[in-house]
Amino acid sequence: MKQAHCIYQDDTHRWLAIARDPTKPGYIIDTNEYVVVHGEEALLCDPGGIEIFPAVFSALSAECDPTRLAGIFASHQDPDIISSLALWLEFKPDLKCYTSWLWQSFLPHFGGQDSTFVTIPDPGMTIRLGGLELQAIPAHYLHSSGNFHLYDPKAKILFSGDVGAALLPPDHNELYVEDFSRHIRHAEGFHKRWMGSDRAKRDWCERVSRLDIDMMVPQHGAIYQGADVQRFINWFAALEVGVLRG
Amino acid sequence: MNAPERNLHFTSTNSGELARIVRVNEEIKAIVATAFRINLMALNAIFLAKRAGNAALGFGVLSNELRRFAQDLTRHMASLRDMTSGSVGSVTGVVQQQRNSAILAAAIRLSGDGVPGVREARKRGATRLAEQQAKLRTLDMRLRASVEETQQLVELGGVLARSAKIEAAYGGGFSPALMQVSTDFAEVIAQIKRSLEILGKERLVKD
Repeated sequence: MKQAHCIYQDDTHRWLAIARDPTKPGYIIDTNEYVVVHGEEALLCDPGGIEIFPAVFSALSAECDPTRLAGIFASHQDPDIISSLALWLEFKPDLKCYTSWLWQSFLPHFGGQDSTFVTIPDPGMTIRLGGLELQAIPAHYLHSSGNFHLYDPKAKILFSGDVGAALLPPDHNELYVEDFSRHIRHAEGFHKRWMGSDRAKRDWCERVSRLDIDMMVPQHGAIYQGADVQRFINWFAALEVGVLRG
Repeated sequence: MNAPERNLHFTSTNSGELARIVRVNEEIKAIVATAFRINLMALNAIFLAKRAGNAALGFGVLSNELRRFAQDLTRHMASLRDMTSGSVGSVTGVVQQQRNSAILAAAIRLSGDGVPGVREARKRGATRLAEQQAKLRTLDMRLRASVEETQQLVELGGVLARSAKIEAAYGGGFSPALMQVSTDFAEVIAQIKRSLEILGKERLVKD
């Protein structure tokens, strides 16, 4: 059952993780959705695919007023990230979708019109949410050619999209990484195959190492917190990527 | 439990409407091909009448008329084709709206009616769906009216073919050849009539 878990709260500033759904059919990849709430506004990060919309909407509504959604952040263009766009717009037609400029004319195939999209330039940008300043951090070629992560300097949370993703077995339903060494085995194959550029990987590792991060929240698998964040960055920096096997 | 629901696969209701448009298009294509054939047949008939000389003056006039009929029919069918192309867009809009509304309804069922904004979202969806269905009904009515007009035109074509048969009898030595041509005309026009009857029975929307 998909549920929203509050992973950070400071007064009206909250991060909700709609993570891990053991009841979903096996043929659909499991995804995590995150909601940043600040004051009267909320931003939904990678809302997921059409098939899981009812589950995500229901989990989100249980914890936060969905009419407060001001925008959607789409880290990239994949269907498991953003194919539910038309349904969110069905609920709230004035929603803004923040995404790489690269996908401006591709995402309307899922829904929305010209006024729906706020394009993020390659170097990134600030996204304002009810007085909070979130940073769209470049993560191009990891894995998509137009790819952004979202950093909240106040909560010290980095939403890292597919970076940090782990394809966990069905019986691993923990919200947070409990044993890094055991967990990372489920992330290795994914990162080797999906992350195509070693140079982009090194750039990203340097960029995020400069950020103050308490939690790194990926789109698949469990959440890294505390020392596991740097552990992950070090592991990723050393990993050979862009390979089929090995 | 709020896992993806099996009822998110909406295929049955409106795929039927798309299938109907495909059938209408296929019938129109068949008539367009036949109209092209009449045009060629009429050209041949004109040459044949010229060769027959004075004995086939009337047949020549009717062949000219049949050629004009074929050109009018082609124009009618082009306009019908435009209408069905437009209706593909409208049916797709209805299908998308129904699917979105159904998935949103499933989400609301899971969340409960008390969630803010759901009533307005439902209302907006219903209004959009009603608008798109109204657009489709208007197209359907225009299509039917156009098919009726074409049927009247084809009646005239039938009369021309019958008259050509009568004129063929006065064709002297060319009479058997002219008779054969006019019989061919009558057969082809009967074929168009059958296609138009099928077209007249098709509806883009269910009554």
